Amino acid sequence: MTDGQRSIDCLEALDRLYEYIDEELTPVRAEEVRRHLEKCAPCLAVSNFESAYLKFVEARAKAREAPEKLRKRLLERLLFEPDEPPGS
Amino acid sequence: MSDTSGPRREAFEAEALPHLDTVYRVALRLSGNEAQAEDLAQETMLKAYRSWHQYKPGTNARAWLLTILRHTFINEYRKARRRATEVDVSRIESFTVFEDVQETDPEGKFFEQIVDEDVLRAIDRLPDEFRETLVLSDVEGLPYAEIAEVTEVPVGTVKSRLFRARQALQRELYDYAVEMGYIKRRDE
Repeated sequence: MTDGQRSIDCLEALDRLYEYIDEELTPVRAEEVRRHLEKCAPCLAVSNFESAYLKFVEARAKAREAPEKLRKRLLERLLFEPDEPPGS
Repeated sequence: MSDTSGPRREAFEAEALPHLDTVYRVALRLSGNEAQAEDLAQETMLKAYRSWHQYKPGTNARAWLLTILRHTFINEYRKARRRATEVDVSRIESFTVFEDVQETDPEGKFFEQIVDEDVLRAIDRLPDEFRETLVLSDVEGLPYAEIAEVTEVPVGTVKSRLFRARQALQRELYDYAVEMGYIKRRDE
């Protein structure tokens, strides 16, 4: 073990799971989770399930773009705005 | 004075306009309907343009726009939002849906049968602060620190809201999938 890395149990691994999936952990803490998942099939199964779920939510909810009429209306409105801020 | 290609407009078009899709999608989830989302998104972008001199070039334009959006929503639109029955996020325990499906569908294939509109409807039933946190993270992909900045809470609060929002939404979607016959409940 280097860099303060230590062995963690299931409770701790699952407690950090979302931060691990979201890549919000420091490299040392992420490596601890990764090592735990490598040797713990039940936790790995939870991790795979949660990752799949998050990908699914993103795919379902991100399929929308700003409507073209909004973009057009906005660009038209901007033409009526002065280019310099007031008082400058 | 040129109205079409001044430096402010150029900078705004380069740094702010690329985030219009994000601003619109978040506006849609905050307000709950398309007409209001368009008004809210347009108002946000116009306010941003008018106060562009307060933006520091090269910093995070997305977080800045989303902060303006959120304030505009809270001050002018929130009262008008039609309330659906809210999902209860107070009694969330860890990974209980996985426990229910680990023997029948451990990869969560049942999710794939749920269509966009049903997922969005379930997201819309989350309480405000949980919905905005989940949308910023799981739809728009903002890091925790940026969500904390936009929603004006500590990162620890973002984490706990996100955990409960994700688990509550997952439970809603699972119950819906059971109801639709996409998956059998464990004890059936």
